[in-house]
Amino acid sequence: MREASSLSVLLGLLGRHRSLGIGLLMAVTVVVVSIVSPQFLAPGNVRDLLIQAAPIVIIACGVMMVVLTAEIDISVGSMMGLLAAVLGVLSSPAHLGWSVPAAAFAVILLGACLGGLNGVLVAYGRVPSIIVTLGMLTLLKGVTELVLGGEWVTDLPSALRFLGTGSVSGIPISVIVAVFVVVLTWIVLSRTAFGRRVYAVGSNEAAAHYAGISVQVTKMLTFLWTGILVALAVLVSAPQLAVIDSGFGTGVELLVVTCVVVGGVAISGGLGRLAGVVTACLLMTMISTVLIFLKLGEGATYWSRGIQGLFILGAVLLDHMAKQVQMSREGDSG
Amino acid sequence: MRRFAFWHELVLVALVAAVLVCAQSMEPLFVTWTVQSKLSTHIWEIAILALPMALIVVTAGIDLSIGGIMAMCAVSMGFLFQAGWSPWFAASAGILIATGCGFINGLVVTRVKVHPLIVTLATMAAFRGAAEGLSRGKPVSSFPESFAWLGQGIWFGLPVPAWVFLFLLLLVVLFLIGTPAGRHCYAIGMNELACRFSGVRVDRILLGLYTFSGFCSGLAAIIFIARRNTAKADIGMGIELLVITAVVIGGVSIFGGRGNLLGTVLGVFLIHETREFVSWRWNKDELNFIVIGSLLIVSVLLHRWLTPAEKKQ
Amino acid sequence: MIVSLLRIQNLSKSFGGVQALHDIELEIQPGEVHALCGENGAGKSTLIKILGGVVKPDSGSVFFDGVPMEFGNVRGAEALGIAVMHQESVAFPHLNAVDNLFVGRELRRFGGLLDRAAMRAKTKAMLSRLGESLNLDQAVETFPLAQRQMIGIARALLQDCRLLVMDEPTASLSGRETSVLFECLRQLRREGVSVLYVSHRLREVFDLADRITVLRDGAWVSTDACRELSEPDLIQRMVGRAISEKAGKTTSVQNSGVPSLVLRGLTSQPEFQDVSLDVFPGEILGLGGLVGAGRSEVARCVFGVDSYDSGSIEIEGTPLAVGSVEESCQAGVALVPEDRQHEGLIQSMSIRENLGLPWLRKLSSFGFVNRGRMRDLASESVARLDVKYRGLGDAVSFLSGGNQQKVVLGKWLAGNPKVLILDEPTRGVDVGAKEEVYGLVRRLAAEGVAVLLISSDLPELIRLSDRINVMCEGRIAGELLSGEISEESILRLALPKEGAFGGGIKR
Repeated sequence: MREASSLSVLLGLLGRHRSLGIGLLMAVTVVVVSIVSPQFLAPGNVRDLLIQAAPIVIIACGVMMVVLTAEIDISVGSMMGLLAAVLGVLSSPAHLGWSVPAAAFAVILLGACLGGLNGVLVAYGRVPSIIVTLGMLTLLKGVTELVLGGEWVTDLPSALRFLGTGSVSGIPISVIVAVFVVVLTWIVLSRTAFGRRVYAVGSNEAAAHYAGISVQVTKMLTFLWTGILVALAVLVSAPQLAVIDSGFGTGVELLVVTCVVVGGVAISGGLGRLAGVVTACLLMTMISTVLIFLKLGEGATYWSRGIQGLFILGAVLLDHMAKQVQMSREGDSG
Repeated sequence: MRRFAFWHELVLVALVAAVLVCAQSMEPLFVTWTVQSKLSTHIWEIAILALPMALIVVTAGIDLSIGGIMAMCAVSMGFLFQAGWSPWFAASAGILIATGCGFINGLVVTRVKVHPLIVTLATMAAFRGAAEGLSRGKPVSSFPESFAWLGQGIWFGLPVPAWVFLFLLLLVVLFLIGTPAGRHCYAIGMNELACRFSGVRVDRILLGLYTFSGFCSGLAAIIFIARRNTAKADIGMGIELLVITAVVIGGVSIFGGRGNLLGTVLGVFLIHETREFVSWRWNKDELNFIVIGSLLIVSVLLHRWLTPAEKKQ
Repeated sequence: MIVSLLRIQNLSKSFGGVQALHDIELEIQPGEVHALCGENGAGKSTLIKILGGVVKPDSGSVFFDGVPMEFGNVRGAEALGIAVMHQESVAFPHLNAVDNLFVGRELRRFGGLLDRAAMRAKTKAMLSRLGESLNLDQAVETFPLAQRQMIGIARALLQDCRLLVMDEPTASLSGRETSVLFECLRQLRREGVSVLYVSHRLREVFDLADRITVLRDGAWVSTDACRELSEPDLIQRMVGRAISEKAGKTTSVQNSGVPSLVLRGLTSQPEFQDVSLDVFPGEILGLGGLVGAGRSEVARCVFGVDSYDSGSIEIEGTPLAVGSVEESCQAGVALVPEDRQHEGLIQSMSIRENLGLPWLRKLSSFGFVNRGRMRDLASESVARLDVKYRGLGDAVSFLSGGNQQKVVLGKWLAGNPKVLILDEPTRGVDVGAKEEVYGLVRRLAAEGVAVLLISSDLPELIRLSDRINVMCEGRIAGELLSGEISEESILRLALPKEGAFGGGIKR
């Protein structure tokens, strides 16, 4: 009996604080992998991991807000691709050769426009967000191909490359930007009226309307903000590569939605914490690199997607169990 | 006075006609029986997959894992074929495994009560990943000529996959229109809770639908393999988006409870004709993406504008 | 003549061809409690939504303190000093109490950030004024319904207002909370605040109001001082015709033979423990108690929607499987659930399909639904229940509350149930239709159906029940036979024993 109750205490705790559960899972993974292969914890590798996670974290901060209002955005992958292509074409000397600040500004503006377009269609056009962003996912992929015309952009200016590969006092720029975005999102969500309204809209749309909150504006802004964040993510991640092709960003939408859900944000809106989402992003990024370090041979890399899927399923099941335990525990104390 | 209930279908017919008329004037060759029947090889997998998807979306669910299930089916079939099974037995076993995958989806959706979007997002990655892991990305090919008949053969004037589709369509139409469970699908999509309070066997119906979706995914995979003569883990990549697009353009509400199979079939047909015509005329895939994407958004937008605002509950 | 605080002139509003309000005139004086009465669909909620700035009227004007009001602006209404508690705004389920009170009108510090300490303190103060001490960090959805409603009330009271508008604030409150609320409202009246109060509970209206306005079918009927109006008069004005109040029960049931429904030691933690009761054929057993006492949960277990931990359920001596709606239906159990909107009916489906929903498989031949038989079943049911409708193919959402409830009943009567469980059968049902539902329940009992009636409306419970079991905090607190039934005796059993009138239901 004793063990059972302490297990249920643990499960109950995990149910309430998602970041704790994910942190635990991460700790276990880190311990196991670093026993098998000690260089996993080498500073260089940790640094690589953070660089890889940074764009995902940045975008997840936006998508999380969208999901909190009970909408969804699955267009971010294609949006990344298009913004990267535009960034390449604008800045590369062989194409338009704009200055880096001008190109960066244009990309952010375009991101805001695309996000805003999503938002307008959802909030004012009354089209379900899954339809709008599914359409955008397909549509923007086509536009990307048109922009690149089947070619690659290879000659990115060095100032732009610095955004992706450079670092300030040893910390990569992408990580700095990600930390900045996370802090900003945290302040917005928990310390401003807008943040509380995002939760309120997702929790009960009719009541939010009666409380004088403009549901349409709130939803519009979350999509717009996501567009801007996607642009930021592109600015720090696309220049990491020497080559920008039309495949950039493919599948990111699923990874981000996965992180948001594994991070404990309810798909029905109104519920979820930033800490859970950020830890989930780190965990999902880690999983994709862990397999290399587990020394399972060259075949192992083929399993990475499968293991990702199992992790989501596992998170979903664990969440379900934790909720049930939590419910019965609350009953006991009542 | 009753409102005419098939506006959406009428608009779809008009759109298909517009595409064909357009094509006729620009590329007369495109609108001929030989060309059309040759191009039709691309439609059948999507059409077969659209049937269970329409049913699932009517219940306010979604199945994103159909591509992953196709991969599982393809890889297990390839495995068994290499192990010396006859292609027909291997294909049957593949379909069985695909059905099992669908059953797993159904189990998780009904037991754990998590939104199907999340469940099938997870199993999409899990199934595809397992297929990739098992096959290590290697294709299996060189199936015998007789097996290719399933994908390429003609039977009584129609391609064999067309017969498979028509048979399934008949079954699904009878199911949806005539049987208690079929009527219950709409009720579940409108208000699942009230269905439970009315003694409707919600879980059993959903389990059946997701299993059926797995079965159809297996079937689509086998037809694809027979057509291309190769079984690989990247089969049907991204097909779920195309199928959902077709179903939604066909007028099935993504929130459940609304839609019919006539619209679904028309939606599949519209997407098919548009895609094929755009590729035929401009030979550019990227235009296809743009056309399909805008078609999806605009069709739903128009639908929203043309139908009077629904009463808020 | 005093200058009125609120003057409504020629206000009209229609929704898609349905005239919800027609030329409404209404004046509210400073410092009066003005009750708004009318059946469902009389236009009360629409009027309130217009006052709250949620809905724009088609024509007419509203003067607040002599100044014309700008329509369709929630914040504008709040700025004028109109605080509204809508029926729907009970809570944001995922947010905590502080957020629920302040969302949309957050307190900010210098720099635009939230002033969380101040909001917390104000929330605490307001809730303690209402006699509630809740955990402020817990999501509101974990609280019982009554507490959630108190939070909604607190939200409305929080605003510095000159006119407080409340749409059925006591719908799920027990007596204790209601009296606390009334004390608050009387205090506000002394301070000169006017209250516009909507309730279906007529006794509350007479208890509280200075004047009563009646609306019927979207039109103004009358405005009277409360003391000049009697309850039958009021009902007559709401319904538009006199209601013949039927005499009490005529039959006395012989509780002998095999009971239709037997519960023995039924337990489902944490909702209820050790519930045992019998219902005999032809008997109406009332199940009384406060909201949250576990009555609905028992009903859900008997119907198989929820499963239970231990104990047994028997229908006519045959044990029932745990947690299977299908088995329960087949054994002859029918449930008219508490939440008609979401559990009872599929609003966008037609009357015919709603009636046939549980019986499609029985109405099938060779696996296919026989439409002719389904139509027959539906027309038979609506005729038997006297449902007022235009066409069987119309969505049930077009029906009035009372007729909707008849459809829910009719859905089950088609199967000739042996045990009928009614959970708050007349909530949101207007006065006229209430009587019809009562008559129907009596008739069914006379036909030999065992009825288990759950109701928070004490007069209703007393009028209908042959016998009453009262639940308190998840247990059967006692049984009242027909001679012992009175509001006092029910309440004595229903209220928690230790620290009655204390902190309410603690969690």
